[in-house]
Amino acid sequence: MIRSKKDGGHMKSAWATEISAVFEKEIKTEQRSRAGFLTSLLSSVLIVISLAYGAFGSTLDGTLAAGLFWVALIFAAVAALPRTFLAEEEAGTADLLRLAARPHAIFWGKALFNCLQILITAVILVLLFSVMMGLTIKMPFLLIVSLVGGALGLAGTVTFGAALVAQGSNRTMLVGVVCLPLMIPLIMMGISSFRVALGVGEALGGWTSALGVWFYAFLVFSLAPNLFAMVWQGKRS
Amino acid sequence: MLAAQALGKRYGDRWIFRGVSFELEVGQCLVISGNNGSGKSTLVRCLAGLILPSEGAVSGYETMGYAAIELQPYGNLTAREHLELFGKMKGCEPDVEKKLETVGLSEAADVPAGQMSTGMKARLKLALALQSDPKVLILDEPGASLDEGGRDLLDQICLNQRKTGALVVATNDPLEKRWGTHEICMGN
Amino acid sequence: MRWILALAMAAATVGSFLAPPAAQFSEPELARIIFFHLPCAFAATVFFIMGAVLGIKALNGGLDADTRAVAANEMAMVLALLTMATGMLFSRVQWLAWWSWDPRQTSFLFVLLIYGAYFALRAAISDDDQRAKVAGAYSAFSILPMLFLVFVFPRLPAVMQKSLHPSTTISGGEFSGIYWSIVLSVFACLLIICLWLYRLAVRAGLLELRYKNEYNQRNHGNTTPPRVVRPVSLSEEGREENP
Repeated sequence: MIRSKKDGGHMKSAWATEISAVFEKEIKTEQRSRAGFLTSLLSSVLIVISLAYGAFGSTLDGTLAAGLFWVALIFAAVAALPRTFLAEEEAGTADLLRLAARPHAIFWGKALFNCLQILITAVILVLLFSVMMGLTIKMPFLLIVSLVGGALGLAGTVTFGAALVAQGSNRTMLVGVVCLPLMIPLIMMGISSFRVALGVGEALGGWTSALGVWFYAFLVFSLAPNLFAMVWQGKRS
Repeated sequence: MLAAQALGKRYGDRWIFRGVSFELEVGQCLVISGNNGSGKSTLVRCLAGLILPSEGAVSGYETMGYAAIELQPYGNLTAREHLELFGKMKGCEPDVEKKLETVGLSEAADVPAGQMSTGMKARLKLALALQSDPKVLILDEPGASLDEGGRDLLDQICLNQRKTGALVVATNDPLEKRWGTHEICMGN
Repeated sequence: MRWILALAMAAATVGSFLAPPAAQFSEPELARIIFFHLPCAFAATVFFIMGAVLGIKALNGGLDADTRAVAANEMAMVLALLTMATGMLFSRVQWLAWWSWDPRQTSFLFVLLIYGAYFALRAAISDDDQRAKVAGAYSAFSILPMLFLVFVFPRLPAVMQKSLHPSTTISGGEFSGIYWSIVLSVFACLLIICLWLYRLAVRAGLLELRYKNEYNQRNHGNTTPPRVVRPVSLSEEGREENP
């Protein structure tokens, strides 16, 4: 065998390269099957349409609309995001990834990919909500800040939850049960800032909640990758 | 290079294997044989770090390559993409064309793995296992789905591996067993 | 020891009925349930923290720590259910509704959901070693929402205004000294009982683990070390020597 490098043929890849390779792999496999993203999109569209239909054209007040929006977002997230791990276990490809990349890189690569997915879903949901339910956004900047933080937090939590569930039985059912309770603080703070962005309540409260969302997302990302690395069998760094 | 100390794995209240100890040096090849269900694959997966042992520890290897039947490549990525992406993850030169040529997949470089035959997949998995020039190469029933040419290739790979590192093969095939300098038989 | 505990518990129970009725509640006589409600909530928190700490220990491998973590979380679950039940009784009597979406009630419901998911997750994973790690990671992570739900959320000013929960009565000093002494003595008794139950559960769990590891080798699986075919030379531990 011919060695290509002097240091024994192996070199630790930089974290950025490794993470981006995992991310790229997710994008490529997703591009070609489109199952995850389409499911997410369709389920959120369906939720909004049924909610709009259920409301029979009556204009929703901000609090209720914020709650409904987050419900739609969470269900879309729980339906689509766990695929990043579940599909791998089902197809038997997980071991290949285990052997190639370090756990931290796997977590970050997949979480970033999930974050992208949930952000796209959130944008489409906002558009649908404003068109179909006639919502006007009073504080767009607050909305963006809280949604981006929320997307990060959701992506981190669901990625972690899916990784825990991946090796169990009954995983598609279980993943919702495991992820939802872990997201509750995020949902509460997300709703309360969204509400303010729609013009209900005081601006200060909205910004505090948005800050809370970001803080929670920060905590999620400082805890989850490390816990994941301890649970995930495979390459050690 | 690769060592196991009193390794054991239990599922529920049933021990799959227990008390496996060995030390492997450069140039050595450990053959793990045994009947179906004797725990060969479980042991190999433990050695590769894919499952947790219930007791004991595996130690010693720096870089490791692993190929097994139940390992699946990504159905909608091509052989070339596999090597490129996993090369990046492992932090080694992709050397895609050369690696593909080594395992005889140059012609099929742009076929998605989902459309490959089992034998072609086995070759791709070998290429991935060899990608980082591993010190320890672990193969689970490597010849099972390979044709004549593939077996010759495997012979070559195993010979080369023993020059630079250690080799672990789980097999019952007499032809593959002859690579071994050491052999343990699982089960009773 | 058990007799002392029984006597102490009896004394605390009698005390809870002798205390003067709390006038600020709509049904002062029936408000006495808080003498049991509060200690249950405290004890649930204690066992939750214990479960999380033991879970983190189990993350580093070790089925013993996992066994202890399960016992602690089971105890916490029982206590949380008791807190919930006593809380709902109180709610029915004082606020005339079993469930009134009071923030504390709601956040405790979520706490129960977190525990439910913990046990569901455990049930889904068949490999003991992997289960210990996964459950440990879940416990460790659930500290985040738990802290938020138990300590942060009910104290947010916006939430406090809406809450029916009499926590302001307690922290505001309207809760007289005798009340506190009864609550704390019930809490002490309850904690001792729960720790005793916890230790029993741990002993049972560890015994089961030892049984799985050692006592049923004869009938289940391959416990003899593999036979070494080549090379012939072998040390006593079954370790291969270089040829």
